[in-house]
Amino acid sequence: MISEQIESLLDSVQKPARYMGGELNCILKDWDSVKVHYAFAFPDVYEVGMSHLGSRILYDIVNRREDALCERVFMPWTDMADLMREKKVPLFSLETRTPIRRFDMLGFTLQYEMSYTNILEMLDLAGIPLHTAERTWEDPVVIAGGPCAFNPEPLHCFVDAFSIGDGEVNILQTVDVVRQAKEEGVSREECLLRLSQLPGVYVPSLYETDYNDDGTIAAFRPLREDVPAVIRKNMIPDLESAAYPTAPIVPYMEIVHDRINIEVLRGCTRGCRFCQAGMIYRPVRERSRERVMELIRAQLKSTGYEEVTLSSLSTGDYSCLKELTREMMEEFSKEKVGISLPSLRLDSDLEEVLEETQKVRKTGLTYAMEAGTQRLRDVINKGITEEDLLTSVSGAFMKGWSSVKLYFMFGLPTETTEDLDGMAEVSRKVAECYFKTPKQLRAKGLRIHCSASCFVPKPFTPFQWEPQDTLQQFDEKQRYLRGIMKIKGVEFNWHTPEVSFLEACFARGDRRLAAVLEEAWRGGCRFDGWTDCFRFDSWMEAFEKCGVDPAFYANRRREKGEILPWSFIDAGVTEAFLWSEKERAEAAKTTADCRKGCRGCGLKRFEGACVGR
Amino acid sequence: MRMLMEFAKGDTIRHLGLLDLQRTMQRALRRSGLPVAYSNGYNPHILMSFASALSSGIPGDAELVDVALGEERTEEECLQAMRRALPPVMQPGRVRLVDDRFPKLGKLLTHAGYRYAVTGPDSEALLESLASFLAKEEIMAVRKSKSAETLVNIRPMIRKLEGAKAENGVTLDAAVSFTEAATLKPDLLFATLLREAGLQETGCRIRRTGLYTERDGHLIPLIEA
Repeated sequence: MISEQIESLLDSVQKPARYMGGELNCILKDWDSVKVHYAFAFPDVYEVGMSHLGSRILYDIVNRREDALCERVFMPWTDMADLMREKKVPLFSLETRTPIRRFDMLGFTLQYEMSYTNILEMLDLAGIPLHTAERTWEDPVVIAGGPCAFNPEPLHCFVDAFSIGDGEVNILQTVDVVRQAKEEGVSREECLLRLSQLPGVYVPSLYETDYNDDGTIAAFRPLREDVPAVIRKNMIPDLESAAYPTAPIVPYMEIVHDRINIEVLRGCTRGCRFCQAGMIYRPVRERSRERVMELIRAQLKSTGYEEVTLSSLSTGDYSCLKELTREMMEEFSKEKVGISLPSLRLDSDLEEVLEETQKVRKTGLTYAMEAGTQRLRDVINKGITEEDLLTSVSGAFMKGWSSVKLYFMFGLPTETTEDLDGMAEVSRKVAECYFKTPKQLRAKGLRIHCSASCFVPKPFTPFQWEPQDTLQQFDEKQRYLRGIMKIKGVEFNWHTPEVSFLEACFARGDRRLAAVLEEAWRGGCRFDGWTDCFRFDSWMEAFEKCGVDPAFYANRRREKGEILPWSFIDAGVTEAFLWSEKERAEAAKTTADCRKGCRGCGLKRFEGACVGR
Repeated sequence: MRMLMEFAKGDTIRHLGLLDLQRTMQRALRRSGLPVAYSNGYNPHILMSFASALSSGIPGDAELVDVALGEERTEEECLQAMRRALPPVMQPGRVRLVDDRFPKLGKLLTHAGYRYAVTGPDSEALLESLASFLAKEEIMAVRKSKSAETLVNIRPMIRKLEGAKAENGVTLDAAVSFTEAATLKPDLLFATLLREAGLQETGCRIRRTGLYTERDGHLIPLIEA
């Protein structure tokens, strides 16, 4: 019945392939043959969600269990969402078109703060009460994980339990708990209490917060003695034995990252001070070259893809990258398999690697410079120099590249006009490198895509105490940049500061933002990360209605010792380490990669982490 | 050598457009292990083409793809490999191996067959109107292309149009002209049929039943060309 209704909706929406399901390698299990039904939700459209590696890993892990099934659900685009409401079609899973409310568990991945309204929209479309307190056993247990779960507080009343850190092991533990609770027939409250006993799981309804008169947090504590006061993140000790899909789903429609994606390492030790991922995914763990090759072989065979991405936070740091790319080329070049390497660092010796990877298919070159001057790059600990960049692009131009992307941020702590000028300077020098390359060697059509995004201070970084630039400051700086970025061959892109402002509010928000979020969603906000859908005025109205000042979250400098909304989470790196890094930043002192010697970030406290370093 | 292969575009994937279908076919070819040939250049792709693009929203029973092979294979080997590689909704029909000099399928294609499953209270009236519709010598309709709208006589483009009662209404089978100079789109034919019969919108599902070439006055499946 619901399936027929869905079919008729598909005739009148954009991109119906988003809701079709039935892709190659998707897993269909008999509903009644399993005990636990898990709906894995990505709060954005299909083509974005299907490009997310973590979701694919977890989908595979749950489906490996005989007693459980996992099906996917994505946020329907606005046309579909509106039609579903009108025709009373509930949010459904792609695999079996089962209403989401019938599942035992509903897991959201939190990749981006600006997808939070979509979570409320999806719960509502599913007919699941928005608030934890109003849910019964008729509803799934709503769990959320991913990087944004490191500050879960703005979602505290909408999510039953958060899973913090690596999800591979924890997702199975939560499935066990829910299965057992349902078998024993215990109450939903008891089930949540049991979940709170798992490592890395935070059940917000079991905690409370007091506030000072100035709005800062006075105290945060569990409501019961048997609930942990500190939640330590989950961490899998090594990737080698971790599960990884061998037959990933191959979408019919084109998705954002439409290729095989093999995670070669997790974590990063570079210590860039603005980077949350670099802090929360520590320590560095590598997958062996043999295992990577085995996974590539299996995935090529099961998917028919023609391109492989070796992904990580910094693939140039993968210790056997050279050997791996050479081996890949030897084995796969006759099948015309291309290799793409995201997140390359210029200071790694990659010439040979680049040469290997371009033999079959040429992929774009992206350089994350982040800041325009050496001084500011030292402040943020981005240990690359202009010389590194220019050497690398000159080499690339000689080898036939003509398209380069440069990433910058503005609004970084201690930034001055000189740093903005530096961005133009660097871009101009890259263009000069191209024009200096002999005509017979270089490819035609220089294209330098230069993009500057607004800096957003994130939890668990040395800049977590820093104020974000105000919207006015961002506007002024952006206008200035647009003026100086008119350079031949350079295309300058910028982002909407308003989005970054809201992102800053929610990234470092506390429980009081939950009401704002709900109000904004009721006011029609959804897909806030999509420029066309973003409605800043509605957001500001929501803040006003709730009596919450966004500047308190975005633009306020936090003092040392202030209880931060995420202080109860042990993310591995200690607050003392982050503070010392903040002080070094202010002095423009860099901190070397910890593989060259321990910097005492706190990960050593974890048994088995940082072995042999 | 080249492999010509009939395949289905099943009901559940009817919404796929040409590019989606091409990508899916290319990946299936790569999974098949057949010795497909690639283009040269920075972004090599499989040398493959469909006889005709099928619009998004319309399924097909016997679409046709033309694939260049770098090494000899038998028809049976090709068929088995593609059966394994293609998803159930895109299963292959017949396979035929031809020489590299064999003409392009697009050049041989002259007609396409469509089936209309018509539902609703007016479907029988539509069935009854067929005879007088076909008796006309001239049926003018507006053909839209990307750049222009032209008024054309579609009657000569209708090779066959037959109807029969079905369980929930009526089934129409049509064979229409499909060449560069004269192509009759299936939805235009249906809209014109309704207009001429003086009927309102009615439920209709269209599927493409086959691609044909004309030889000695008869339509034969394109793969047999």
